[in-house]
Amino acid sequence: MKIEKKLIISNIINGAFIILIGFFAFENMNLVLTKLRFVEIADDLNASFLTMRLAEKNYFLYHDRKALAEIHAMISSTVETISGVREDIIRAIGETDLNKLETRLKVYSTVVEETRTENTWDAQTESRLREEGRRLKEFSDSITHLERRRVNDIILSSKRILIFSFWAILASALLISHYISQKIVRSLRAIEKMTKSISEGNFHRIEGFRTRDELGVVITAINSMSEELAHREEQIIQSKKLASLGILTAGVAHEITNPLNNISMIAQTYEEMYAHLGEKDRREFMSKVDAETERIRKIVKNLLDFSKPKDANPSEADINVVIQKTLTLVQNMIDVQNIETMVRLEEGLPHLYIDEYQIQQVLVNLVTNAVQAMSPGGRLFIASRPGKERDSVEISVMDTGKGIPPEFLPHIFDPFFSTKGEGGTGLGLSVSYGIIKQHNGEIRVESKVGVGTTFTVELPRYHHEEKNDGQIQNHGH
Amino acid sequence: MDKFRIMVIDDEKIVGDMAKMSLEQEGYEVETFLNAEPALARLKEQKFHVVVTDYKMKGIDGMEVLRTVKKEYPGTTVIMITAFANLDAAIEALRGDVHDFFPKPVKIKELKESIRRALNKT
Repeated sequence: MKIEKKLIISNIINGAFIILIGFFAFENMNLVLTKLRFVEIADDLNASFLTMRLAEKNYFLYHDRKALAEIHAMISSTVETISGVREDIIRAIGETDLNKLETRLKVYSTVVEETRTENTWDAQTESRLREEGRRLKEFSDSITHLERRRVNDIILSSKRILIFSFWAILASALLISHYISQKIVRSLRAIEKMTKSISEGNFHRIEGFRTRDELGVVITAINSMSEELAHREEQIIQSKKLASLGILTAGVAHEITNPLNNISMIAQTYEEMYAHLGEKDRREFMSKVDAETERIRKIVKNLLDFSKPKDANPSEADINVVIQKTLTLVQNMIDVQNIETMVRLEEGLPHLYIDEYQIQQVLVNLVTNAVQAMSPGGRLFIASRPGKERDSVEISVMDTGKGIPPEFLPHIFDPFFSTKGEGGTGLGLSVSYGIIKQHNGEIRVESKVGVGTTFTVELPRYHHEEKNDGQIQNHGH
Repeated sequence: MDKFRIMVIDDEKIVGDMAKMSLEQEGYEVETFLNAEPALARLKEQKFHVVVTDYKMKGIDGMEVLRTVKKEYPGTTVIMITAFANLDAAIEALRGDVHDFFPKPVKIKELKESIRRALNKT
């Protein structure tokens, strides 16, 4: 469900709850009003009853017959009043109590009437009159009292319900918004993690997020973007490799010229000197030709290997062998610039689980950069040694070039970042970075302007179990 | 008359070996060096009529050999050979008064012819 929908629904639920509470409170108010109106009426009635009883007392004290007439008139007016507000009273106390009240009033009225018409005076009548008057008054008092208490109860319970509802609505609003924000935050964290990993060159999908909300849409978009990036990166690696291949081919063509010249000179000398050469000399000449041919074959093979299309194919490898092979590819480029090379490869390093050609590509990139950073006559230092972490091997390529300004250092692995002007694609180092990351390795740079630059590649050593679970995955496929 | 002396400098050993064999056949005295430092040291003790040097070498390169020889021993002819067949190098060498410039693979007959012409001049 979309987050927007969720928010709307939760708001509707809360709103409905509030309306319900409001309706309930309104109803209670109405009830209270009705009850209050009754209490008002009851007060009037009580006042009438009190007056009746006062008249009753006067009658007993002074045997004033006018008092009885007064009571009679009072009863009539009370009955009239009651019938006028009958509906209100029923609503407040119910028909049963009203009937009881009316019955009592009728009984009282009858007694008063009897007393008046018989015109007798005895203790029995007196006590009946007194008794009925008292009952009437008591009943009326008790109803009034009860109603007052009910009003009080209603107000109290309304108050309690309102307070409870307040907390309930607050709690439910907090819970719902917490739930939604948790969900959003969780998805955002996943997205953040993913974009971070993409920026480091790992194009993994976000898994385990099957939301259909807006964030789900974003995650799907990022997933397809990362697939696209993985695909593009492959293309970039291949095109970058073709670009370095161009540089290398010029060098390699020259590299081949020397053994070619040697073969040619041997052949010319052989022909010219044939008569003067002994059996041993002739054999020696031919074996030299063979050795020079082998030199050419190796150079061509290296070049072919380098240009093979990228299909990450990791295998156990000795990094020193890989470095030596790379050097045959770049040696000419180094020589042309009259750069002094020092190679110090430590013996007995642990084997690595790497795609040899990809690592060669990285080394070619690093050496090319180093050579381009130096004016002729610089020094290039290439070394291999055990890594600081016990389980790795470090390869460093150090030059005495112009160095990289500190403000550029954080960007040198960014795609299309180049300080070489039109000469560079700005892809070499970013591709190298991608390759090293794919190998679960690290690539670092240290540089000082005017002193030189050192790139250090750290690769994890080969573990036998890696063979099966395939540490390096060609994620494009 | 003394034999003509020829010096061959190339870091490819076969170049020196083959050149020596062919040129000695022509009656020249030939010494070969794999790099320029000992070759320049040897020039101080012994006059050579022709120096055949590779263009691109580790340490002191062919251009520097040409400059040194032209400065210190103006009578000595320098012939340059190179695997690095680019025009700039050739122009630079010609400005430095090189006698001849051969791209690899070298035709030994042409090299001999060039040496012969150089020696006839002197």
